[in-house]
Amino acid sequence: MAIKKKTSKSSPNGNRRHNGASQSKSTATDLRTYTIPDMRLEHPDLSVRPAIEKDKDGAEHVRYEVTGNLNAPVPPILDSKYLDKKQCIEIYRYMLLNRKMEVALENLYKQGKVVGGVYFGLGQEACSCASAYALDKDDWFAPMIRNQGSLLVRGFRASDTMMQYMAKADSPTHGRDGTSHFGDIEKRNMVSPISMLGDLIPVLSGVALGARLQGRNIAVMTYIGDGGQSTGVTYEGINFAAVQNLGLVLFVESNEWAYSTPSEMQYRCKDLAERAIGYGIPGVIVDGTDACQVYDAARDAVERAHRGEGPTLIEAKMMRMKGHAIHDAAAYVPKPMFDFWKKRDPIARFENYLVKEKKWLTAKENAELISEVERVIEAEREIAVNSPMPTPESAEGGVFCEDGCHDIKPKYGLPKVKKGTAGYKQTEAAGHLK
Amino acid sequence: MQLTYLEAIRQGIWEEMDRDPSVFCLGEDIGIYGGAFKVTDGFIDRFGPERVIDTPIAESAIVGAAFGASLTGMRPVAEFQFMDFIGCAFNQISNMVAKTHYLWGAPAPLVLRGPSGGYVHGGPFHSQNPEMWFVHNPGLKVICPATPYDAKGLIKAAIRDNNPCIFFEHKYLYRRIKGEVPAEDYIVPIGKANIVREGSDLSIITYAAMVHTALEAAEVLKNDGIDLEILDLRTVSPLDREAIAQTVKKTNKVIILHEHSRTGGLAGEIAAIINEEAFDDLDGPIVRIAGLDSAIPFSPPQEEHYLPKVEDVVREARRLKAY
Repeated sequence: MAIKKKTSKSSPNGNRRHNGASQSKSTATDLRTYTIPDMRLEHPDLSVRPAIEKDKDGAEHVRYEVTGNLNAPVPPILDSKYLDKKQCIEIYRYMLLNRKMEVALENLYKQGKVVGGVYFGLGQEACSCASAYALDKDDWFAPMIRNQGSLLVRGFRASDTMMQYMAKADSPTHGRDGTSHFGDIEKRNMVSPISMLGDLIPVLSGVALGARLQGRNIAVMTYIGDGGQSTGVTYEGINFAAVQNLGLVLFVESNEWAYSTPSEMQYRCKDLAERAIGYGIPGVIVDGTDACQVYDAARDAVERAHRGEGPTLIEAKMMRMKGHAIHDAAAYVPKPMFDFWKKRDPIARFENYLVKEKKWLTAKENAELISEVERVIEAEREIAVNSPMPTPESAEGGVFCEDGCHDIKPKYGLPKVKKGTAGYKQTEAAGHLK
Repeated sequence: MQLTYLEAIRQGIWEEMDRDPSVFCLGEDIGIYGGAFKVTDGFIDRFGPERVIDTPIAESAIVGAAFGASLTGMRPVAEFQFMDFIGCAFNQISNMVAKTHYLWGAPAPLVLRGPSGGYVHGGPFHSQNPEMWFVHNPGLKVICPATPYDAKGLIKAAIRDNNPCIFFEHKYLYRRIKGEVPAEDYIVPIGKANIVREGSDLSIITYAAMVHTALEAAEVLKNDGIDLEILDLRTVSPLDREAIAQTVKKTNKVIILHEHSRTGGLAGEIAAIINEEAFDDLDGPIVRIAGLDSAIPFSPPQEEHYLPKVEDVVREARRLKAY
């Protein structure tokens, strides 16, 4: 990111004048003219607003209509500053796994094997997979509902997520919760999401705080949508990370729709990355359908976190290519909008980049990779389907950590504490109320 | 050593921070200022700004950050300036923290603590007793001490516990009561009630500031020849069912006394426990004495009318004794 040099000079609590975002060359230091770096090779100008539409009987209905240049050409993939051939192919494989796992989930749903609904990350695979790929082993993350690809990158199996959806006994939560709602604080450093949006942001900040008290600057990555960022806890969490200078890497996934509400009705600013200016942290915009842009921005942010330079907000622009969940046909989305983004399919674009532009994969190697992924998913599906349902009685117990079920100790080693010379003495100061 | 209730809590947290480097404090104005009630006064000089963290005014961030740090094996102690403000962090506590061990098996050893309670004319937003919001949340331990000894022993137990604990400090008691606190290290077990006065005629089941109201009433009633037993719950979740049943089996008559509003209050739950455990032992109706079903008003005559008083306990005890 262009801002890296400036922020590396800033004080531990951030340089208030530069505030992370790059500043214009104005010499008037009190003139606040910020810009947000934007890595994208195109800037879609689509706009969604309600309009009156008449049906064949002349009755009026309110529908969303989309305006803008719907025929803009698809931009190329931006060459990564960091990724080599092997890494690009590995990310591509994760994206394929992500998509084919979700196709399998859709089929399991149609076969009546899923309890509840299925949530898809269709069109968002580059963002989920390339972001998580930028983390180091000791870093932490927490996915949102559409980041099922992130789980695969961090070492969970497709069968884990499948069993969650099928409420199976062998699922990571043993049937107690579904979807991507599970975690692992031992090996994979993942915090379980909850359904309420934004709450993970202060939690991940706290993970970074805990690690810092143990002498480690780690990166903590999580995600929020253009809908979820409207919540108050999102503000609280980012602001906390900012003032404490914690290594939060927050992906704001602008995917145009929050359930059925277009982003125009969620926020007024042009780009959500602009929010970073208000928090006093770096913000950057990437094309969320370009795995290389996502990775590069994520890696820069992760390295800032490792250097103890604080949080980064990355806005990834893309489109949710299905409804909110499987029940939702997304009939409220104007069809030309789907057509526009379908041409920007992250997997098709990355495949074209690897096979045709870079020639890092031959057509044959690509076909082999795809069938290998399909075999993996089929095997994972078998494991998931064959897992039993939990017993009714397994609903009981485990509310508390007791009887030695966990040995709690600092994960990165006992904090080295310095103690002042002040000893304990009773307080004589006045309290707030008598 | 004679300590105030506030000093006992302060000493308890200080000793735990001294003993265990994984314990740290965060909250609003707890650093150089030492907290609104001075529970962490002087902590920053001893333990430094890294372990005594002044936060933005953002209760969800405070709880969220405490929870996140606990997942890395730290033992955060988060202060609410007043427990009335815990509502600002309700989702984080109820949906994130409380459910974590049951749903995905991650322990959350954190303490959320702060002043609660009336009798100090704090008005509707600085006087509440919001413990019931959390009693109805499986996965949380809810602690409400009444004495300096218990306050110190329970805050230490809460910090050492592997589960999220919400620790309600009664602000009326902070500097009004003193009690003997041993110099050596000790804890008071969470979930165990305590008979603070043995008696034979009827039982008062209560906790926090109301323990002292009940003790005063017992002195008045002694002159009437009524011998009160007082059970201090100390922990309101999980409740000590056995101790509740035992006192009812002993005296056969029971008054449940609490400061928060009557409807949906703890007395209803305790009455149900008595119904399940000791129905045949009752020789009279279960009596409730509680706050009114309204917000806590500000003006002293109104607040006094809202809150339970010694006279209420005396009146109801006489009525129940005669039943």
